[in-house]
Amino acid sequence: MALYETTDQAEHVFGSLFRILSEDEAFTTKLRESGLSVRLVHKKPECDVFVSADEVVVGEDVPDSAAITIKMSCDTAHALWMGNLLMPTAVATGRVRIRGKVAKVLEFVPILQPAFDRYPEIAAASGIAG
Amino acid sequence: MGMIQQSLELNFDEYPREVAEFQMAVRAFAREEVLPRALELDQEAHDHFAWDLVQKGHELGLTRAMLPPEFGGLGAGVVGVCVAMEELAAACPGVALIFGATMLGQAPVLLSGDPELQARFLPLFSQEQAVLACNAVCEEHHGVDLVVTDNVRHAHEMTTMRRDGDEYVINGHKRVITNAAVANFASVFVRMEGLAPETGLTCVMVPLDSRGVTRGPVADKMGYRACLGSELFFEDVRVPASNLIGGEGEGVDILAAQGNMARSSVAAVSVGVARHALEVAVDFCGTRVQGGVALREHQMTARKLAEMTSKVDAARLLYLAAANKVDNRLPAPEYEPAVAKFFADRMATEVASEAVSLLGSRGYIREFGLEKILRDSYGARIYEGTAEALALAITDCLYRDDDEEGWDDDDDL
Repeated sequence: MALYETTDQAEHVFGSLFRILSEDEAFTTKLRESGLSVRLVHKKPECDVFVSADEVVVGEDVPDSAAITIKMSCDTAHALWMGNLLMPTAVATGRVRIRGKVAKVLEFVPILQPAFDRYPEIAAASGIAG
Repeated sequence: MGMIQQSLELNFDEYPREVAEFQMAVRAFAREEVLPRALELDQEAHDHFAWDLVQKGHELGLTRAMLPPEFGGLGAGVVGVCVAMEELAAACPGVALIFGATMLGQAPVLLSGDPELQARFLPLFSQEQAVLACNAVCEEHHGVDLVVTDNVRHAHEMTTMRRDGDEYVINGHKRVITNAAVANFASVFVRMEGLAPETGLTCVMVPLDSRGVTRGPVADKMGYRACLGSELFFEDVRVPASNLIGGEGEGVDILAAQGNMARSSVAAVSVGVARHALEVAVDFCGTRVQGGVALREHQMTARKLAEMTSKVDAARLLYLAAANKVDNRLPAPEYEPAVAKFFADRMATEVASEAVSLLGSRGYIREFGLEKILRDSYGARIYEGTAEALALAITDCLYRDDDEEGWDDDDDL
């Protein structure tokens, strides 16, 4: 059974995660320096998140044009941020699919470290266990 | 029918500015530094290594072309690396492979996405002195077994690793590893003790000055003699647990990912080899007069030259299309790089063989250099996936029923 039952629940957790990240100056500085913008397309349930140095957008207003698009299920996202699934494995097995300059992706992954630190408490606060 | 969106990715008429500049710089290096010494390097002893040439290539960025700028790299992407490899191989593929093997040694660390591991190892390639790496896969009893994913389950008799506290202990023997004799680091594929190959295959970074590492004799190869292929022996070699790349049991996925990433650049090497043979043949057939006219005016010769240049151009388009996809997709596609390499490798031997035929005795005599090109042309049919292994991978793709890399198939997410 899927951990996330509704789009609202997923948007709340993943939106919160990236809003907290965007308050980290090192994170936004890195995004700005690299000219990075990322669209995270979550499935099962649907949940779109757009992240750039200037804004975090969640839901239907997410812009199409991002330097990187990352597609995965909400369960896969949960396993990744919990540290239970390694990104190379997720990518290699097709559970995470990425479009965009791979060089940009390689720059993006290391700056996500704070997400791993913050996600468990954000998820737990919304009743997502695991 | 809806509006057709123009692709923003495919434009091979004009490379991105950074790629074009890198290509020009590598072309100048290849023509001015590598080509004049290619024959000399080919005829040196089989264990001779031109560190001075490597140092010049290092200063150009060839040892760190794939690395992100934050680690001192050029961030050239696979397209950038491919065009550089073609330029180098058009002078000497052995020299190209010294740098290509280093990139392959770095690839698992890059693909791991592990910031700590990347920060420890990748900046080392931007030091003043050239630092080389290698990628140790091949075993005495397992070659294609470690190239074709479905075959990994048969790789029982391979180098093993076990955890001991904060360290891993490695025992075994790798063979025909490019750069093993000269590299500072190796990304080594091992099987975790007690686990089956398909679940236990693991990648680990090993500094080659570690106690217990022995570099074996250098192979006396038919071609690619400027780069050294040799054995690596591991006897109770201890490395910190933090040298693990990706995680225990993640080796199959890393192996597949690095193969898909590397094959376009090997195809580019074959294109460089074939281009060199074509250039020599075009030059000769344009000036050599037989029967009262230049050779190129003889219909048989014209046909051969036309076929040779068509093959080189087709192979280049295949590797560029594959590299472009690899630069824009994760997971990297399997089909396009495999097809590009499969086609280019065979094409190189065909074009080199025809060039030797066109030059007659000059093609057969060592001092003219074409026989070296013919010997070199066979190399890429061996490393990074033989034609036999690639054929299995390509044909397997033909029988898959999912869409392109499954991007729209949400059921599998």
